[in-house]
Amino acid sequence: MAFNFNWSPLGADTTNARHMLTAALNKSPKPPIIVDDIIVTDLNLGTTPPSLEILEIGDLAEDRFRGVFRMEYKGDGRMTLSTRVQANPLKTYLSTTPEFASPEPLAASAGLTIPLQITLSEIRLSGFVILVFSKQKGVTLVFRNDPLESLKVSSTFDSIPFVRDYLQKEIEGQLRVLFMEDLPAIIHRLSLRFAPECQEELETEERLDGSNDATVPIDPLSTAPQDAVDAFGHPLDQARISALSLDPTAEIHASFSEKNLLHMAALIETQRTLALFTPSLRDALYRAWAGQMDRLESGTAPPALTLSSLSRIQSTFGSVKSNTSSVASGSTGRDTQGSRPTIVSNLSSAGGLSAGANRARKPKKRVVDLRKNKDDAQSSGLSSERNTPLPSANVSDSASTIPEEREDLITPPPSPATRPLRFETPRPTLDAAARSRPSDPSAPPASLLPPPAFLSSAPKPSKPKHKTDNSKPEMRRSSTARPPLSHSRLTQQTTSPLFLRSLSSDKVATLSSVDSTSGGILEQAWMHKMAQEIAKKVQREKDRAAGATGAERAWGPADADDDDEGEEGDAPPAYVA
Amino acid sequence: MLDFMENVQNAFYEASHWNLDNSYGALNATARALLEFQTPKGLKLQISSLAAPNFATSYAIGNVGVVDGSVSYLYSSLPLQRKLKSSDLDLHHVIRGYRHLQELRRPDENWWWEVWHNGKRIDRKDTLLYGRIFLPQSRLDALYLRRLSPTQQLRVAAVSDSSLKNGGTILTLLQNDFGKYSTEYMYSTDSALLGVRGLYNFGADPRTGPTEPITVQQIAEPIHGRFSAGAELYYGLLNKSGGISTGLRFTTLPNHTGFPYTMTLTLNPLMGNLSSTYSVKAGPNLALCSRFDFNFYSYESEMQVGCELWRRRRNTDVEWAVKRLRPDWERRTVAPDDDVTGILKARVDQDWRIGLLWEGRIKELLFTLGASVDLKKRDQIFRAVGIELQYSS
Repeated sequence: MAFNFNWSPLGADTTNARHMLTAALNKSPKPPIIVDDIIVTDLNLGTTPPSLEILEIGDLAEDRFRGVFRMEYKGDGRMTLSTRVQANPLKTYLSTTPEFASPEPLAASAGLTIPLQITLSEIRLSGFVILVFSKQKGVTLVFRNDPLESLKVSSTFDSIPFVRDYLQKEIEGQLRVLFMEDLPAIIHRLSLRFAPECQEELETEERLDGSNDATVPIDPLSTAPQDAVDAFGHPLDQARISALSLDPTAEIHASFSEKNLLHMAALIETQRTLALFTPSLRDALYRAWAGQMDRLESGTAPPALTLSSLSRIQSTFGSVKSNTSSVASGSTGRDTQGSRPTIVSNLSSAGGLSAGANRARKPKKRVVDLRKNKDDAQSSGLSSERNTPLPSANVSDSASTIPEEREDLITPPPSPATRPLRFETPRPTLDAAARSRPSDPSAPPASLLPPPAFLSSAPKPSKPKHKTDNSKPEMRRSSTARPPLSHSRLTQQTTSPLFLRSLSSDKVATLSSVDSTSGGILEQAWMHKMAQEIAKKVQREKDRAAGATGAERAWGPADADDDDEGEEGDAPPAYVA
Repeated sequence: MLDFMENVQNAFYEASHWNLDNSYGALNATARALLEFQTPKGLKLQISSLAAPNFATSYAIGNVGVVDGSVSYLYSSLPLQRKLKSSDLDLHHVIRGYRHLQELRRPDENWWWEVWHNGKRIDRKDTLLYGRIFLPQSRLDALYLRRLSPTQQLRVAAVSDSSLKNGGTILTLLQNDFGKYSTEYMYSTDSALLGVRGLYNFGADPRTGPTEPITVQQIAEPIHGRFSAGAELYYGLLNKSGGISTGLRFTTLPNHTGFPYTMTLTLNPLMGNLSSTYSVKAGPNLALCSRFDFNFYSYESEMQVGCELWRRRRNTDVEWAVKRLRPDWERRTVAPDDDVTGILKARVDQDWRIGLLWEGRIKELLFTLGASVDLKKRDQIFRAVGIELQYSS
């Protein structure tokens, strides 16, 4: 992934920018000392571009971009303003005094207007810039803090120190307002003017390293955390986040760090497989679920939709989940789990994955808000359509993976004993789920993931037990048939009732739909690197696999200790060759 | 046209023998009346009443903005005798035009104002209190006026408005008028502005005039003009800035045989502003005025011309009969300006900005119709149009 910042065309023709600036400067009511329009006579952006440091990219696609930059400008840009000022202080004073109490001087308030030329140069800027770009809505650029560090004001009255100091102070104040309030509006309008060729004119033109075919409009977990943090862990306040959002209906946008993204992905995986294990994110409040507007957008953004490997992973989980639940519709989920070792193994693998994510969790407090889920049925239907038909494991494709957080999202080599089981059993059920869809359009979401109402009010006795704390003994009892691994997983899960409560499958479905369609650039790059790592590990594991016969036995002690290292022994199914 | 309450205040000045014209601030009052009149905006209605000789109320409603209005009350310790009913008031009192200055009046002696009863002094200083609240802006204007002595007056004007810088402003003005000269000292809370103004009238001192024997020359060549000079100085304590101006005026007095005229010249040496006006009352119904401003720092100049025309009803039926009457035959009219149909005021400057005002009386209603026109801006020629109606009883 590379960014191409093209500075020179911006500096070439500044006529438009000058007019915009002139309009912006004259829009707000001017202080009484300025008696004429402020005209920008000269604007030169200079030859030195500002240096940008990418802090965070929250949204990235062909036609959309959102990112946080750290900008520093030490260039030679300059701006010359000309206006006319009232030199008589008495006149400016009287202009604000009501007539009734005015001293009404006879001629002492006679005006003297003086043309004034101000040159601003040596502008030093440093600040955090939030840049949001959308093909339809243009570019929005917001400064998070006051970017103006210093500037040099030279004017007609430089010989008079009092006037010079006054002007310096006044103009600095005005410029601060300009940067914080007016400039975003100007840039937005400018970008709209260049609307068709937005991408060339505006400096962010994203290009992919590899094949461009998999570009999907993504919204990485568009289910927005309500207080997002940037890469530094500074909380972004709500107003700013919503201000960033170009779509007024999608008020809350995620501004996620990559790490967060992985955490969330892991979390979702665990839910999709009905794994009762939760990466117990301490100090986290699970309030809610996907913002539907974003989800719809991403979900219906179709033709170019080629699922990346990450989405395949997710779809695998999704299909397994659908498998489980579709079976569960006939019997209780507990029974299903108890009777099917394959699912247990999936569970454990998911648990391993999520546990890895859990381990990598930052100590910072982050509130994850995943609420706002309305169109569950529709979205889950969409997601299921995409998810289930896919082959659950595709080694060649899953070779593209997660780059930076390899240790966090562990994909350790799975034990050979479980692998064949896992990949034999899901397929038929998956096919069944896929087959069942056309016959009943409302069924797929239900078969994939039971809706919350179903979960909460189902007559089946075991369902509510899954959702409550007192399911603990039940779990234990049922898990006696299972290997100790899953037992410990289950018990661990039950210790996080908060999450259990929020574990209604519709939300999972929502998330899954988001994720399944989120084969974006970010993930792709991420996958690519990760895949290599996994491929290596898989290879290593295969070599080692011959000796290992009993997977449960191998995992047993590790899981009993609730040791993360032990869980790393299991890989999520998608990563398995 | 003057507000009802301003008319009442002028009546108070008249009743307390205070000469408004003998002040440096009124040096170019004629030019300002003819050139700087305000054109009304929107519709404004005002109903006023001098309920008692000491008490006046006024209610106004307008549509500037959405709907706004004002309620004002005035109390005067001095009974006001001026006719203030809109049906029979003197139009010259409410329409500012050419100010024909009168001979200076000798100020009252202090002991004239003393009232003694049973060996005690019981006279009280004349006071005027005035308050006006604007709704819905919640702005309050307040005025306190007190005649401290026959030659001295204290005026405190205050405005309370949340939109102002410190929530309001107070202007205190101490005025002295000795006839021959007058001084004013002022202090405004807004930026702690201090001000001094003074006006000196050349010529005979009205205070000593009656005691000296009148010479033959004085009878032969009566004084028909007055030359005055004045200056003002302001200094803002908080913003450390000041202002200064000086002015000269020559005006003809009623003794003058030709048409009355007034010339003023003001100079602001700090800002390099020079302004000269020439006003002439060309006839009983017509006054003309011109002003030329020049700034010798920026070489900017400005020119303004204005006029005031009183239109009277021509009674052609009886005109022949009037002509045949003896000159000293007194006709009885209900009001002095009963035949006035309207007064037209117009001004124009070098940028073709035109202000028009048509004022008059219809039955018992005083009306003001105004428009300001900018011929340079073709797309928006009419800058403001308005009508004001006043009724007072």
